[in-house]
Amino acid sequence: MTQKKKTVVAAVLVVLPVVFFFGTICIGRYYVSLTDVWLGLWQGITGRSSGLSTETAAVVLQIRLPRAFLGAMVGAALAASGAAFQGLFRNPLVSSGILGVSSGAGFGAALAIVLFNSIFLTPVFAFIFGMAAVVLSYFAGRIDNTSPTITLVLGGTIIQSIFSALISLLKYMADTSTQLPAITFWLMGSLASTKTADVLLAFIPMVLGMLGLLLMRYRLNVLSMGDREAKTLGINVNGNKAFIIASATLATAGAVCVSGVVGWIGLIIPHVARMLVGNDNKWVVPASMSLGACFVIFCDTICRTLTGGEIPLGIITALIGGPFFIYLLKKTKGRNW
Amino acid sequence: MSLLSLHEVSFGYQADRPIFENISFEIGPGEVFCIIGPNGCGKTTLIDSVLGMNQPQSGHIEVSGTDLRRMKPREFAENIAYIPQNHVKTFPYSVLDIVVMGRTHAARMFTAPNAAERHRALESLAQVGLAGFEDRLYTELSGGELQLVLIARALAQESRIILMDEPTAHLDFRHELMVMEIITWLVQEKGFSIIMATHFLNQAFYLENAGVKTRVALMNQGTFKAVGTPTEVLTKDSLKDVFRIITSLGITNEDGICRKYIVPLKNIR
Repeated sequence: MTQKKKTVVAAVLVVLPVVFFFGTICIGRYYVSLTDVWLGLWQGITGRSSGLSTETAAVVLQIRLPRAFLGAMVGAALAASGAAFQGLFRNPLVSSGILGVSSGAGFGAALAIVLFNSIFLTPVFAFIFGMAAVVLSYFAGRIDNTSPTITLVLGGTIIQSIFSALISLLKYMADTSTQLPAITFWLMGSLASTKTADVLLAFIPMVLGMLGLLLMRYRLNVLSMGDREAKTLGINVNGNKAFIIASATLATAGAVCVSGVVGWIGLIIPHVARMLVGNDNKWVVPASMSLGACFVIFCDTICRTLTGGEIPLGIITALIGGPFFIYLLKKTKGRNW
Repeated sequence: MSLLSLHEVSFGYQADRPIFENISFEIGPGEVFCIIGPNGCGKTTLIDSVLGMNQPQSGHIEVSGTDLRRMKPREFAENIAYIPQNHVKTFPYSVLDIVVMGRTHAARMFTAPNAAERHRALESLAQVGLAGFEDRLYTELSGGELQLVLIARALAQESRIILMDEPTAHLDFRHELMVMEIITWLVQEKGFSIIMATHFLNQAFYLENAGVKTRVALMNQGTFKAVGTPTEVLTKDSLKDVFRIITSLGITNEDGICRKYIVPLKNIR
């Protein structure tokens, strides 16, 4: 790639999420002009009234702003974790859920719904069980104080299926008129129930996780050479793996606990990023964050505007992501893949 | 001072079934140490021990006087570079990205090698004859070119020893010769020491013929049967014992230079 093209791509990747972010706040049943969005944000930052109607201010500040913000964070976190796991496991087909974080979180959420029926406890349980599932996978895959790639993946697969079975069990036991629909809806993923409190809860693990992945992104290149080569190139393989897994898990668990299980992003977005910026993870990780944020904001806007009700996010990401990926694959002839 | 020394090292996956036993050797500066032996004799497991990928059951390994178990990965990389027999390609990195990884040990935690390091990687690439290859995808290279790229990465690493596991497996005559010429150059001009596991006995003679300080360890059933110069070790009798084959040793006089070579004739039933 020439230097000029690199600069253009970088600029687009910086500007695009900002455009999507403001765009989604404007769009909806209740149209808000871009000027009003600015005024609303200004009012939110300074606390002084800017002459907006209370209605418009409420739509901007209390409904769409937290939702747009959360969508951007969730997309960035899932895509970055997916990119990290693909590099770490040397497998372009793994996603952010490979070590069981999504299944674990799904189980936690279902458990909270069945036991407590509490809106507050659902994300907390999802987060705790998401983290716990990865810790279990990690220790299941440890052999003699090392963590070989293949046994980690096996450990993850096993823990995933155990938690999937437990989710099925909870669904089977759940009250069919109230709890079962809640579990099912949660598992399809949605940003519909976003509240400012959720954003604050999920913000910390997502930011910490993404920061960790940004710091380790060059090491992903080296780790993708395999354990032997990575070690002889001067890397503490087990320590680096543990740090990357911890970061990706924090980011994913933070995302999943508020959005539910949203598929596709962690698998597909890193590939789109590679088609744009090449395979050096120094660029793949930040590019994935930018594209993931755009993609989730875009899909979520469709979720809440296409019909009178809410369509689960997981459905739209797959329905839009699938064909789009096939298009990219044909266009690039899979060369950079 | 020896760059690498093994003292009575033994290893086995099960305690009562050693893969290799009581292996001792030392590598000094500017020499090639060839490990030759039949499939399954324990070469690769021995290499894994030197890389610290498995823990010896007894004996110990020292790298530049430091016990291998106490050595940090960064320090290890400054001493030993490794070129695998089969490099598994997953993502289509550019050739430069691959070679730059040789400079990983020089980069601080949380950073990638900087522009100066990238420049050094480009120089290494030019030195193995691949100038202009930096933007090619390394997944689209031929086997011979890939091996040269991995050698460039080891060269960029600037370690004292390069450990090569069958560096010419799957290569054609021309690329095999290229690799041998680069090995000769690495030792004679750049002062590297090289450990190589190989199945090609003539490579040991090639190095000896070229005036490189070369030692051969003939390995069989987990022990070194003989260690010495290629002429001392690779004899009809020793090859008959280890490989169960009849061989013929010869000397050519092409260009007025005497070169030894070896030809396998037949199996012993």
